[in-house]
Amino acid sequence: MHIPDNYLSPVTCAVMTAAMVPVWAFAIKKVKKELPKAKLPQLGIGAALTFLMMMYNVPLPGGTTGHAVGGTLIAILMGPSAACVSVSVALLLQALLFGDGGILSFGANCFNMAFVLPFVGYYLYKFIRERAKSRLGESIGAAAGAYFGIVAASLCAAAEFGIQPILFRDAAGQPLYCPYPLSVSIPAMVIPHLLVAGPVEVLFTALILAFVKKVSPDLAEPLPGKKTRGIWGLLLALICAAPLGLLASGTAWGEWGMDEITALAGYTPGGMADGFRFTALLPDYSVSGMPEVLGYILSAVLGTAVLVIVFKLISGRKKSTAQN
Amino acid sequence: MADIPQWLTQPESYDPPRDRDRFLDRSIVSFVTLLSRFRSQSALERDLLWVSPVSKLAAAVLYVVLVSLARQFAFVYLMLAYTAVLLALLPGGEIRRCLTGAIAAAALAYLILLPSALAGSRYSITMIPAKAFICVTLVNILSRTTRWDRLAGALRQVLFPDLFIFVIDITMKYIFLLGEFALQMLYALRLRSVGRNRGKYGSLAGAAGTLFLKSRAMSEELYYAMECRGFTGEYRTARVRPTWRDGVFWGLNAGLVFAYFFLS
Repeated sequence: MHIPDNYLSPVTCAVMTAAMVPVWAFAIKKVKKELPKAKLPQLGIGAALTFLMMMYNVPLPGGTTGHAVGGTLIAILMGPSAACVSVSVALLLQALLFGDGGILSFGANCFNMAFVLPFVGYYLYKFIRERAKSRLGESIGAAAGAYFGIVAASLCAAAEFGIQPILFRDAAGQPLYCPYPLSVSIPAMVIPHLLVAGPVEVLFTALILAFVKKVSPDLAEPLPGKKTRGIWGLLLALICAAPLGLLASGTAWGEWGMDEITALAGYTPGGMADGFRFTALLPDYSVSGMPEVLGYILSAVLGTAVLVIVFKLISGRKKSTAQN
Repeated sequence: MADIPQWLTQPESYDPPRDRDRFLDRSIVSFVTLLSRFRSQSALERDLLWVSPVSKLAAAVLYVVLVSLARQFAFVYLMLAYTAVLLALLPGGEIRRCLTGAIAAAALAYLILLPSALAGSRYSITMIPAKAFICVTLVNILSRTTRWDRLAGALRQVLFPDLFIFVIDITMKYIFLLGEFALQMLYALRLRSVGRNRGKYGSLAGAAGTLFLKSRAMSEELYYAMECRGFTGEYRTARVRPTWRDGVFWGLNAGLVFAYFFLS
């Protein structure tokens, strides 16, 4: 997911870096408050740990291997702000010393992997854990956090790629940077993460958390903090954003309503569009006799409600067994 | 002379069943590559292409910005030539190492953009792989010719806060220390996995989990050591003074900026 230089326009890079500045400021402030000065070295060592976590290869079906990012894991173990600082430092070293990820696109990479990934992952984990206080609830929380954290990060990266041909083209109409519109970039980035990288991340996070819990339970205790309320806002935002998923199937170009994109849609390489047959595997969320967008939002509401019900049932069962 | 025991004289034919453990080898290879990279840079006695690290860093960012902004192939071609000249000044081994990553990046860009070129977008397929090649080569030249602690010092001089430099410094040292520790654990797991070992996945997670616990212990030890030596939370890095070489270098860079505007 490391975006190299020259795929994003320098303007996009500047905007993404500007978006990261308040996040970094917040994270450093939070870390300074939460971690006593005595724990400062922990930040550096945490960054080293993050860097090394990406070196572990995990076996995948079919004999190949893949590596995990571990952002959610680090966020669960050290808190999301510390994870943000650690992952940013790790990304900077990768860009500067190893040529992995661009220098200009550093801000964009940090936005996806040091902000979206750990924060989405951590708060989802925390949200589920608070409502399902069993061991199972915690594991599900960690797994869901890891999965949706990395998928959300890949969606952000895809959006950054996908807006390039809309915004930056030369006089002849040729795209100057990444030439693929959202209808190509979203499935190209998100589907592999849904099917491969997400499960790898889940496996890695769950196994390591289980290990740390067994060996050193005091370290894996949840960090003290307020109950999550903001998560409802996040969920609401996600539900409202659900129609964006329509972009992935390339059917909503009319609704998107920009002549430019329609022009681009015609330019979408046929071979590339045919290459993503996975989209056919995804269920069609539209309901007949209803506008597509509304059907999509309703599906998102339904899905979220069902998830909440499941977690409440799990935690309810746990409480009743505790009372008995 | 004592007789050789009977069991020692019999030929052994122990052929352990094969197991799928490519992920272990892959992990070991990535750790070894990482550690050797750290070793090779700390062995760098004197920085190559000697201008001050802060000049090198600032110039690398400038080049990446210029290349990224360029819309005419003429300027990209000029930068390609410039990169080639810089490369030619390095020893052979370094050239090969700088080029490996850059060629991979350019090839990947070419592969990604091929479908769009087939659909008629000629601009991207020529420009982006060339630009990717130049940018990755230039960053590789920076990181191969400068010792990394000096690079961290250079970041301090371009206004990064002290806390940040402190974190980067510790990160670089502990990537090495923790990396060696992780590698030893992987070797141990490899050696103990003769034949079929069903617990291997669990053990790999255990190795990664132990790495986390070790990092906690190390950071505590580091803090106590720092406190014993009077660390108060202030962290300063030494500054490197620019020399006449930096002057010449920036004259050259000014020429490149001029060429950018002239050619586009």
